[in-house]
Amino acid sequence: MSLYSWFMALARSPLGHAMQTSRWGFAVVEMVHLLGLALLGGSVLIVDLRLLGVILKGESAITLGRDASRLLMGSLTVMVLSGIALLSEESGKCYYSPAFRWKMALLAAAVVFYFTLHRQALLRVQSGKPTFWPRIAAVVSLLLWLSVGVAGRAIGLL
Amino acid sequence: MLFLQHFCEMLYQSSFGTMLRESNYAFSVIESVHVLSITLLVGTIAVLDLRMLGLILRPISVSSLARSVLPLSWSGFAVSVASGFLLFWAEAAKMYVNPGFRTKMVLLVLAGFNALVFHTTIYRRAQEWERQHISPLRARVTALASLALWGGVIIAGRAIAYF
Amino acid sequence: MKARLALAVALAVSGASVPAYAHHSFAAEFDINKPVRLMGKVTRIEWTNPHTYFYIDVADASGKITDWAIEGPSPGALSRRAWQKRDLKVGDTVVVEGYRARNGENTANGRRVTLPDGRRLYGGSPGDGGPGDDGTDQGNLPATGANK
Repeated sequence: MSLYSWFMALARSPLGHAMQTSRWGFAVVEMVHLLGLALLGGSVLIVDLRLLGVILKGESAITLGRDASRLLMGSLTVMVLSGIALLSEESGKCYYSPAFRWKMALLAAAVVFYFTLHRQALLRVQSGKPTFWPRIAAVVSLLLWLSVGVAGRAIGLL
Repeated sequence: MLFLQHFCEMLYQSSFGTMLRESNYAFSVIESVHVLSITLLVGTIAVLDLRMLGLILRPISVSSLARSVLPLSWSGFAVSVASGFLLFWAEAAKMYVNPGFRTKMVLLVLAGFNALVFHTTIYRRAQEWERQHISPLRARVTALASLALWGGVIIAGRAIAYF
Repeated sequence: MKARLALAVALAVSGASVPAYAHHSFAAEFDINKPVRLMGKVTRIEWTNPHTYFYIDVADASGKITDWAIEGPSPGALSRRAWQKRDLKVGDTVVVEGYRARNGENTANGRRVTLPDGRRLYGGSPGDGGPGDDGTDQGNLPATGANK
């Protein structure tokens, strides 16, 4: 099944049909998407600013990372599920949208980075001062997640 | 009342307001900054609220977390207000009659009031309870109110487009 | 002075209250099963963020005039489709092809607008599924039937 046909199948699915015909569906789902964004952003900021040594300097980066991870994964799940619903309302437009494609690529990069190099950086820092590479990891993480947000905004503006 | 109407009308008709409203890029960029600033403003406050509810970061004392997080929240607030004021300037006359905008402003004031009450009362004695994994009842009530009110601000803000 | 102020506010408010429907989602706002093709004289233009609007007086066979609101994306989005504010002028007779609002009001999206000089402007999005949608940012009609 080609990528395009997957997008079309989503549009024709019961979810797509519901989103396309509902008067308020898109609005409500988009609001949920925004609430998820606030929580996701908050958790990313807490962890990465710790990794940079800007806040919570005395606290264990691992403990912080573990707890924030629950919040991050939870809010990310909310965003992905609401995002799929939003996508089903206008999947044709999103398929062709460079902003959407960038957003998905950056999201994948952010998630992969989070589970690999970023996790390593947290382990390296432990309870001490962050060194060079963990700081880089924090900056990369912040930039990746920020660009996901910017690309998401661009979908509606292009 | 009439003064407020007149003020909104004046902002709307001004050349700066008109320029923003008809701009090719400026409005979109400012609006994007405003939307993304909710991470810095609401996201960080939510972390503190969730800590007081005992849901995350229990090993960290509430005061310690607040000391780290609140400067971020204030920065987020500054960015939200600055960008929000510019957006308001561009659309002032429309915002005056918009139920979503009015609700958002009311909820914003309530959120601020909730924080003020917290900081001048129960938080004053934080050293007594800051290490508890679950904060006292009054702190938890404040935390829930904070989450609800700030969530409401975001929802009302989004609702502006639908009126 | 008071009367002038009241009039000014009333105008601003009336301009603000016309688009009373859901935004930011084509399918929820416009009906893909109700295509419209309108010819009318431009009476008012609001080249504003987040959405642009212009209004046309459409005359039916009996000469009765109906006011239609035509919605488009932001000025920035239109400028990227080579559509500038100066392209539309009050008094111009234009042809608008789009879809009618779901709520049945005299509102349509300006998916394609033909200007008096024959130029065609595109206000849709690639992939929106409208006529001639080929995934490009021109949404070109097939070779036959174009430029009527």
